[in-house]
Amino acid sequence: MLENAWLAWMIVGAPLIAFVVVGLAGRRLPEGGAHVVVGALAASLLIAVYFLAQVLQLGAIGAATSNTVDGFVWIPGDPATGEGQIAFRLLIDNLSAFLLVLVSFLSLLIAIYSIGYMHEEDGKPRYYAEISLFVAGMLGTVSADNFLQLLVFWEIMGLCSYLLIGFWYKKPEAASAAKKAFLVTRVGDVLFLAGVLVIWNVFHTFRFETIVEEIPTLWGYPLSPQLMTAIPLLLFGGAVGKSAQFPLHAWLPDAMEGPTTVSALIHAATMVKAGVYLTARSFIFLVPTVEVAGVHQVLVPAVPWTAILVVAGIGGFTAIFAASMALANYDIKRVMAFSTISQLAYMFLGLGAGAYLMASEAAHGSPEIPTAGYSAALFHLTNHAFFKALLFLSAGSVIHAVHTNDMRQMGGLGKVMPWTSRTMLMGALALAGIIPFSGFFSKDDILAVTFESGAANPLFYLLWAAGIATAFMTAFYAFRMWLMTCHGEYRGHGHPHESPRVMTSVLAVLSVFTIGSAAIAFLTNGFGNLVFYGEPHAALPLVSAVLEGNVVDLGLAGLSLGLAGAGIALAWAVYGTRRIPATTFTRTPARAFLHGMLTNRYWIDDAYDAFGSRAVAGFGRLVDWFDRNVVDGIVNAVGRGTVTAAAVSDAFDRKVIDGAVNSISLETVRSSLSLRTRQTGQVQSYAWVIVIGIAVIILLAFFFGYLPRLLGRP
Amino acid sequence: MIPVEYELVLSTALFCVGLYGVMVRKNAIVVLMSIEIILNAAILNFVAFSAYAPPAGDPSGQVFALLALAIAAGEAAVGLAIFLALYQSHGTVELDKIRLLRW
Repeated sequence: MLENAWLAWMIVGAPLIAFVVVGLAGRRLPEGGAHVVVGALAASLLIAVYFLAQVLQLGAIGAATSNTVDGFVWIPGDPATGEGQIAFRLLIDNLSAFLLVLVSFLSLLIAIYSIGYMHEEDGKPRYYAEISLFVAGMLGTVSADNFLQLLVFWEIMGLCSYLLIGFWYKKPEAASAAKKAFLVTRVGDVLFLAGVLVIWNVFHTFRFETIVEEIPTLWGYPLSPQLMTAIPLLLFGGAVGKSAQFPLHAWLPDAMEGPTTVSALIHAATMVKAGVYLTARSFIFLVPTVEVAGVHQVLVPAVPWTAILVVAGIGGFTAIFAASMALANYDIKRVMAFSTISQLAYMFLGLGAGAYLMASEAAHGSPEIPTAGYSAALFHLTNHAFFKALLFLSAGSVIHAVHTNDMRQMGGLGKVMPWTSRTMLMGALALAGIIPFSGFFSKDDILAVTFESGAANPLFYLLWAAGIATAFMTAFYAFRMWLMTCHGEYRGHGHPHESPRVMTSVLAVLSVFTIGSAAIAFLTNGFGNLVFYGEPHAALPLVSAVLEGNVVDLGLAGLSLGLAGAGIALAWAVYGTRRIPATTFTRTPARAFLHGMLTNRYWIDDAYDAFGSRAVAGFGRLVDWFDRNVVDGIVNAVGRGTVTAAAVSDAFDRKVIDGAVNSISLETVRSSLSLRTRQTGQVQSYAWVIVIGIAVIILLAFFFGYLPRLLGRP
Repeated sequence: MIPVEYELVLSTALFCVGLYGVMVRKNAIVVLMSIEIILNAAILNFVAFSAYAPPAGDPSGQVFALLALAIAAGEAAVGLAIFLALYQSHGTVELDKIRLLRW
């Protein structure tokens, strides 16, 4: 058990309190309440570190520890058995404890940086309040004990992302980018919600721990193979939206309209990683396990191979797809947005390949579960969080100095902004994957796992090839960006100067971590201890390759390193020494077309816009038409019908019923009028009537009474 | 003995004469006289059937005839008194001039 478990709530609670305080009283506080937020995040960080230390000690370095911190019961469920109960609880296991530390640390650094970056802005209380609400959402997401709680905090993050992208809401681009981000992410969120509902239908619980235990018992019925494939795919749908993977990637580049600190925090370091975290959590579906005699074994028949291939395939494709779009962009933040999409895709590739490797090894009867892909993806998540935050904050420092995002108006900033230039170079080296920077280790671990999975399914060789090509592109655009920004002559206006110390010191701390986070891999048993999954397992492939001298893995590492070097060399030749003029890439029509395709983002955004303005608006118009003509028509027809029926009824009443009454009386009057003229007063005419009447009676009596009797008939 | 048919034919003839008078003549006195003729036709029927009725005649017919004659005398008296009153109020006893029973 954890000591002082209740404190775990303060990890989420501290930023939430800061949100309330800054939101209500931010105007009266210095710097719009920045110091309150920094203090709250520091408190979160300290508590998170305290719990990580406890988890690692309890697990004695190399075993899974999971502790649930009780919160409050939301829906009590069955009072006797507790079935159907929904409660807010925190799950403190290796993965969440580590991510709590990572998120609160990066949030703290970026909040400190914001003091300098946002100094001249209006609306600082709003900014800091939303930032701290966001951090509360992110910390809640990674520490959620069940899928529903995860979804709740996940949506809080989505809301804050929307609010912060639209921070400069008076700018039309920012407002529309915020809406785009919110709506595109929503597509994924709907899938996620559907997945969560399916989980409830099958398991009658949202808790990760209960689900893991129940999968083997429910397997077959009601957990059919189709459902087993659908659940992780629906959850992955949410991850695709949040982590901006193809085909829901379009919002992230536009999200760069927000302040750079927001891009660094939400759209590089934390929120977009939530998709990776969710996919890592859904490993309980991707690689279902069964506990036999205290040992976890993969439940091989239940493995959803298709879902795993989709995760890996989307990852591999998005990696090369997004990296290619970063090649030709001139907006420094968009280059990094595409880079973020591409790097996140690496993580999904790692998770997919890792899951496939685990499942196929188990299918071949291997007693040991190789969790290297899982660890490698989360290792890359960690490293990327550091080096991409560094790159974004360096870019923010540059933008702060030159007041533009266009790299064509930068250049030569290395002379006037030495700190920013140097930290940015370190970030670029880490992004390119150059040894010994952190990006190298995690990326090559992912590629090694992918290559290893190729033995089980040749598709992974293709994905590996995409990954290695991405490595080349990444190195090229990373150095293109650095060279265009910091090298050569200044092409812009004004006199840029170095950013204040509060910003550069954060850059310095982060650049230490671009090397330092790599060292985590070389702690005992590799990175796996921190994000433990399943049984104790061997270290990361690269670490073991170094330790055991695995030729294949070392060769692969050398290959990707060589390609990254080639990318840097090409970027140097084009943008550094200008030996190859940049116009080479647009000289022939075919190349110009290719260049146009990349700058237009493969026309996917245009296609989405067209889809929005044509198909959706057309559908809207169709619905409107339907509403106006059919629905209104029906309503009007019903109204008109009622009026007509009333008119008919009225006419019937007036004509038939009143008419009958009136005509009876009228006819009575008329006939009496005509009949009374017969009463002439002439006595003899009365006598005639009497005589004729008597004659008629006599005749009748004769013909009907007397005559038949006379003829002998009764 | 006179056959009863003869008497009935005479009675019918009388009735028709009386009916004609009632229908056609305009003078109230003549109409009253015609009514008396119709009455006599009926009385004749009583007498005829009384004589004819087997085995040796039924006197009730004759009694009825006498009674009817007495009543006819009273009727004539009342009728003439009415005509007198009519004459006094209208100045005539022509029936088509007197239209008191009009609407």
